[in-house]
Amino acid sequence: MKNIKKNKLIYLMIAPGIIYFLIYKYFPMYGLIIAFQDYKPYLGISGSEWVGFQHFQRLFQDPDFWMIFKNTIVLFILQLVIAFPIPIILALMLNEVRSNLYKRSVQTLIYIPHFMSWVVIVSISYVMLTLDGGIINSILRVMGFGQINFLLSEEWFRPMYILQIIWRESGWGTIIFLAAIAGVDPQLYEAAKIDGASRLRQIWHITLPSIRSVIIILLILKIGDVLELGFEHVYLLLNSSNRAVAEIFDTYVFTAGLQQGQFSYSTAVGFFKGIVGLILVVGANKLAKKYGEEGVY
Amino acid sequence: MIIVKKVNKAAVLTSVCVGILGLTACNQNESASSEGGSDSDPITIMATLHTPEVPDKKIQNMIEEETGVTLDIQWVPDNNYDERLNAAFATGTLPQVISIKNADMFKGAVRDDQFWEIGPYLDEFENLQKLKPEIMENVKIDDKIYSLYQGRPLSRSGMIYRKDWAENLGLEAPTTTEEVFEMVRAFTEDDPDGNGQDDTIGLTDRSDLEYGAFKAVSSWFGTPNHWGEKDGVITPEFMFDEYVDTLNFFRDIHENGYMNKDFPVTSKTDQQDMFKTGKAGMYIGSMGDVESIYNDASKLNPDLEYDVHNYVEGPHGEYGIWSIPGYGSMLMFPKSSVETEDDLKRILSFYDQLMETDNTNLLVWGVEGEHYNVEDGMAQSIAENQQAIDREVKPYLSLEIGEADSSGRYEGFSDYEPKTKATELEKDNENYLIQDLSIGLHSDAYIQNGERLQEIINDATYQYILGQMDEEGFEKAVDNWVNQGGQDIMDEYTESHNEING
Repeated sequence: MKNIKKNKLIYLMIAPGIIYFLIYKYFPMYGLIIAFQDYKPYLGISGSEWVGFQHFQRLFQDPDFWMIFKNTIVLFILQLVIAFPIPIILALMLNEVRSNLYKRSVQTLIYIPHFMSWVVIVSISYVMLTLDGGIINSILRVMGFGQINFLLSEEWFRPMYILQIIWRESGWGTIIFLAAIAGVDPQLYEAAKIDGASRLRQIWHITLPSIRSVIIILLILKIGDVLELGFEHVYLLLNSSNRAVAEIFDTYVFTAGLQQGQFSYSTAVGFFKGIVGLILVVGANKLAKKYGEEGVY
Repeated sequence: MIIVKKVNKAAVLTSVCVGILGLTACNQNESASSEGGSDSDPITIMATLHTPEVPDKKIQNMIEEETGVTLDIQWVPDNNYDERLNAAFATGTLPQVISIKNADMFKGAVRDDQFWEIGPYLDEFENLQKLKPEIMENVKIDDKIYSLYQGRPLSRSGMIYRKDWAENLGLEAPTTTEEVFEMVRAFTEDDPDGNGQDDTIGLTDRSDLEYGAFKAVSSWFGTPNHWGEKDGVITPEFMFDEYVDTLNFFRDIHENGYMNKDFPVTSKTDQQDMFKTGKAGMYIGSMGDVESIYNDASKLNPDLEYDVHNYVEGPHGEYGIWSIPGYGSMLMFPKSSVETEDDLKRILSFYDQLMETDNTNLLVWGVEGEHYNVEDGMAQSIAENQQAIDREVKPYLSLEIGEADSSGRYEGFSDYEPKTKATELEKDNENYLIQDLSIGLHSDAYIQNGERLQEIINDATYQYILGQMDEEGFEKAVDNWVNQGGQDIMDEYTESHNEING
């Protein structure tokens, strides 16, 4: 209490933040109750009937549950393994560039796609990849490779998905790592040079260890997004021919739940997703701490 | 405890409003809840907006003057109308009049007495009585009338094709499915545009099994419309042999390259572009589209000619065409915002006035001499004022009740001949309609699971046509549908059907 009085200005300054989180992040959690109800909008939360775990049962019994679960996890792992390291590699490469002008223009160029919406990106890919006169297929045909049905096949969905993510997000991700690299003590490099370390050695033994904590924190945050694979992106790519590999929890919630006004069921699916995400983040954080890193909290 | 409750309520309301609706809906709250019964209060309507912009208020003001009622119209774009409706429902901010396309979503609410049953009141209103009884039959829920309908032609389906190409190749309008096949083949292989290059395809289609080509063609083959009767059981269309015949027909066309290969991911715009730019020669869908398609296409190629056609016999030697229930959407009146019987009567009387011939003309065509002229007893839009029409008149079409037959308003006149022919063929289609047997029937399983299950079939349909699935695979998909809850839907529909038909 005394502390509050003494530092009341500081407390006042964090008040807006706390209020923001209360209103937008914590109070809405009250709505999760409807996952255990047969929620009817006109009856409201207080009036709707309780049904216990019925919606969760329905989810786990859905014959597609494991397919959706697997798809979600596979896309998540692909993101983590392929898309996540690319900004780090890009940042290391850009860091070696000596010409400032060149470095900056490259940086600008690669982060611009971040500002395009998924609709635009998916439409561009569609125009390029379609069998009905798309440029890539025309080139393939002229070169004698035959045509590839990128849009309507199971095999090409994942490569397409991950390439689009890399194209859109890696430049943006590079910024943070470049900033982290900029903070490395130059004296370390001086010393290494005197010891005769090559460029690659310097990257391996100085740059990477110095930004390791940043990488790990971002990794943990990324894991927090598990199962948040970008509804819009997947939904736009999803079609009848690739559903077996492309249906994820977000799209499932949309088609099976919201489109038909099944709020309770949708909430239950979202709830389940949230719990899996929470477990993964806590686990990753524990693991990071165990190996002597700082972790997120 | 009370405080906690209030805070929670407020928080949920705030978050829901902010999250789903944006701030406008919260403001809406005030106007909706302060609604009383006095005559000067506006009638609040949530209307569907089909144009990019909110309309100019000119027509609205004139309507208000004619009827002596003030309107508070909330325009909601067509593509997120349902979401907005759900959100308004959830936050208790429904306006007095809402329009609903798919009654299934609200059947539960209707049963819980959330909406006014208007059937008993209709006798009091001279114009509302003129609404077509056969369509009123289709809007019934549990055999009671809860809504007014906005009429639509029962079947607009048919084909639009390149008449000039057909003439180049010496082809007539196809009257059997075999001739259709021959036409799309010839349009692909026989160089219909005579430029010596292999740059045309026969048919252009899009990712829409209903309003695209598939459903129209499946009616030619004699497939039921969504649901049909088989051995006394209400059975989905895809369990009929005719559906599989249609699948094979499309599969052949696709395999031979007579249609766009990527049609399961083609948008309506792209589909129409192929047709407009002379890449494809046949378009199956709404015949009335011919005018707007021609308007764009003639700018690229002034010599091109289109024609419309509806009659195509299937292998059984008969022509049939699927039909919608006769309405685009239904207007319903929530009890939460229309509080008393008097309020309801006031609103109904407004719609009764709105259905008067002059008022409907105003709503649909605008001001005579400014937006349209009367030609042969039909309304012809004044082309040079097209912009004003788009801004001032067009959006209000979604307020119309009934159709030309019931309100006596003008039909549209077009000096583009295929358009006039399309309107005639829509009428002709009425002689060959295939009705959806499930209309008016009830199934809880369908409401809960129907759409999700339908996806299994839609996927299988596309995959079969693309050659990614064989007949055995399709049968397996149908079995899946049955086992995952389709059987329940069939049982419930059949039971409901037997109940109604005694």
